Amino acid sequence: MPPITRWFVRSALLWFLLALSTGVLLAGGVSADIPGTDWIFPYPTYLHLLTVGWLTNLIFGVAFWMFPRYSAEHPRGSETLGWLAYAGLNAGLLLRLVGEPIQMSGGHARAWLLLSAGFQLLGAWAFVLNTWPRVKVK
Amino acid sequence: MLLVRTALCWLAAGAAMGALLLGAKAVPMPVGVFRLFALHAEALLIGWMVQFAMGVAWWILPKYPRLPERGPAGPIWAAWLLLNAGVLLAGIGRSLGAPEATVVAGRIAELLGATAFAAAAWPRVKAFGR
Repeated sequence: MPPITRWFVRSALLWFLLALSTGVLLAGGVSADIPGTDWIFPYPTYLHLLTVGWLTNLIFGVAFWMFPRYSAEHPRGSETLGWLAYAGLNAGLLLRLVGEPIQMSGGHARAWLLLSAGFQLLGAWAFVLNTWPRVKVK
Repeated sequence: MLLVRTALCWLAAGAAMGALLLGAKAVPMPVGVFRLFALHAEALLIGWMVQFAMGVAWWILPKYPRLPERGPAGPIWAAWLLLNAGVLLAGIGRSLGAPEATVVAGRIAELLGATAFAAAAWPRVKAFGR
């Protein structure tokens, strides 16, 4: 398993735990009528922790490892694009995790959210660019 | 190949829509941007994740010892066509505020696509080499 896949999969596992913990705190806070629960743990953040943090990191990591080789010299395509995908996706999600509650509570986290959007887009497109030429008949 | 490549296209498009939607929480954008939400969700959940899983399963499940080694192509083409038509109908339909029947038609197309895929994949769920 290449190092980048280990980073993707271990990060996926950490996001998975954080997502489900957030789910417990969100449901618990709402059912106990604790004020501010819905902006401390916004539902969109919870959903993205699961779908981006857990599922997408796991898919990216395993695809980078298991897809057909790009070439003998560069079996996994561009390592740079792979690391860009990892950094973009995870930095973007981290920025959202902090920025979205601040913004929803009436604070100013515009830059955090804009950077988050840009980083996640960069991560997704880097993965697409690197994976596209590896989708071929073995 | 087609399933995985189409899934990658939906990932690229869905992530762009997601970036716009998240950006719209930070800076004022045209109201129309928020309408992209339904298409963003449909594109990434069904178009990207579900379709990518189908494509990888089709590639990796045990093959038949005879040709065509992955089974007849018809059902998998039908699955691809129906699933993507479904994503377009349900996602764009809801985003544009089309009649609810459009969204229902999209979801039915997705279900039929999933059925075609399941029927084609079912006999390949077996021990390797059999």
